[in-house]
Amino acid sequence: MSLVVDAQGVGKRYGSFVALADFTVGVDAGEVLGVLGPNGAGKTTAIRVLTTILSPSHGNFSIDGVPHTRPQEIRRRIGVLPESAGYPERQTGEEYLRYHARLHGHSRASAAAVARALLEEVGLADRGRSLIATYSRGMRQRLGVARALVNEPRVVVLDEPTLGLDPAGQRQLLANVRRIATERGAAVLLCTHLLAEVEENCSRVLILNRGRVVIEGTVSEVARRAAAPRSGRLYVPAEHEERAKIALAANGGVEDVQRNGRPGAITVVLTGPEPTLNEAVRSLVDADVPIISFELEGARLSDAFLAITGSG
Amino acid sequence: MAAVAGAPPRRADSPGWVVVAEQELRDLWIGGRGLALSVAFSFLLSVIAYLVATNSALNFLEQREAVNLTLQVAIAVGSLLALLVAADCVSGERERGTLEGLLLAPVSRRQIAVGKLIAAASLWVAAFAITVPYVWFLGRGVGIVGDALWTGIVVGSLLAVTLISLGLLISIFTASNRVSVSIAFFLLLALFAPTQLPSSAQQGWAGELLLRINPLTAGEHYVGKIVTNAHGWHEDVSWLISPAIAVVLSVVLALGVAAPFIRLRGGVSK
Repeated sequence: MSLVVDAQGVGKRYGSFVALADFTVGVDAGEVLGVLGPNGAGKTTAIRVLTTILSPSHGNFSIDGVPHTRPQEIRRRIGVLPESAGYPERQTGEEYLRYHARLHGHSRASAAAVARALLEEVGLADRGRSLIATYSRGMRQRLGVARALVNEPRVVVLDEPTLGLDPAGQRQLLANVRRIATERGAAVLLCTHLLAEVEENCSRVLILNRGRVVIEGTVSEVARRAAAPRSGRLYVPAEHEERAKIALAANGGVEDVQRNGRPGAITVVLTGPEPTLNEAVRSLVDADVPIISFELEGARLSDAFLAITGSG
Repeated sequence: MAAVAGAPPRRADSPGWVVVAEQELRDLWIGGRGLALSVAFSFLLSVIAYLVATNSALNFLEQREAVNLTLQVAIAVGSLLALLVAADCVSGERERGTLEGLLLAPVSRRQIAVGKLIAAASLWVAAFAITVPYVWFLGRGVGIVGDALWTGIVVGSLLAVTLISLGLLISIFTASNRVSVSIAFFLLLALFAPTQLPSSAQQGWAGELLLRINPLTAGEHYVGKIVTNAHGWHEDVSWLISPAIAVVLSVVLALGVAAPFIRLRGGVSK
């Protein structure tokens, strides 16, 4: 399958400052790619380059097969919710969508129909004729998502879409994001600070740090590749603690075993990924040690993120 | 989600600049800003008309001079209003965070600039329309209403388009809206400053050159010759050279050179 988003070695520099370097990524139709990174990592720059707001200093990219040298054609194929997007306070939601639909080539009649359909889709049908000035933050974000869809885009780019939303608003907006990928078949780039959002909604993740892509893959791949050293918190009955420590210490996949606070609580540092975890658990079973709980650390995306970006 | 991604991109049934201009006009006039500025303009013109009519009735002022004075104020203030709207049109959107959405549309930046320029020019058109009854009232009976109106619309439009283009230019390159509007206002004051010089300073070749090279003073001088001195339109047409050059230069600069530089960040560095 050909990639809908195909970027090869894209970079952006301002004088001597490198905002983005060798950004290479491919996204398929129907896929949600999470773009992660600490503040100043280059996420917004990457998005602005891919959406033709900024021109790349070097490298090439294409959107739906259209090369970056034809920005106007690319803009016909993308829908974008920019970070901190502003909205004209004195327009109604419907008027705002109608305007953007017309900018994308809809006739007056079809722009009105598209605006009504999208307002319905994002749950704003009953407020379409209200001034945007009266909208809450969540309503504005949903309006922004609707605006991003006026041209039935092949690629939808959402920069921090849940910023400032309450949990219910976040859930609703992320449900919209998933539907954009699954029902519309669009490739979605979800740029966010919230790792849980990526874990729950993205098929793949890309982590940027200091303008460079430091890792890319599925959520579990990234967590597995990046989150070493991994450790586990083991709870066994207090009377079995010593036996458990001996059994674990004898296991080659275990690097270190230490008591962790209260009796029966042990921290186990593993030397490698899943097989060593399985072996550690098996050595406890073989030694007849009852396991109350075994919680693995370093397997979550947040662990990977902190390990890669050094934000911990 | 009924629609499916991948529908072929549409070709616009109206050019982008028409769509932008329509929305900008709606925002300006239905949003209320244009109406408020027009009301303020008509209030100012009423005061001026009252004063010149009173002076005219008391024979302190020739009727032709009364029309000329009113027309010159209308051109200056009408252009100022249009200039201020133009100076806000890019930097204002930038500050309100709405520019990025516009730049993401498949419309060239030049078309965006043209649409905004048309909307700003509508304020001058409205200002002139408001001026018509005042000129008619002050000039009736001496046969100058027609001459005053056509001179006013020609000279006023040249100056208004020049100032709007300069306002747009300033708005594109300034980092903040406040700076943009301040520079635009200062520019207008600077251009009008020679009209406040004592008449002795406007005499001689240097004084005339100063008046001629400044498109605003040259244009207003031409209006004065037609309306006050009852000259034919061709007698002093050389006074329109600098307004004509200024309008061409400023439009080329704003739309041809600067418009492609409409960006999220103001300034000239990046």
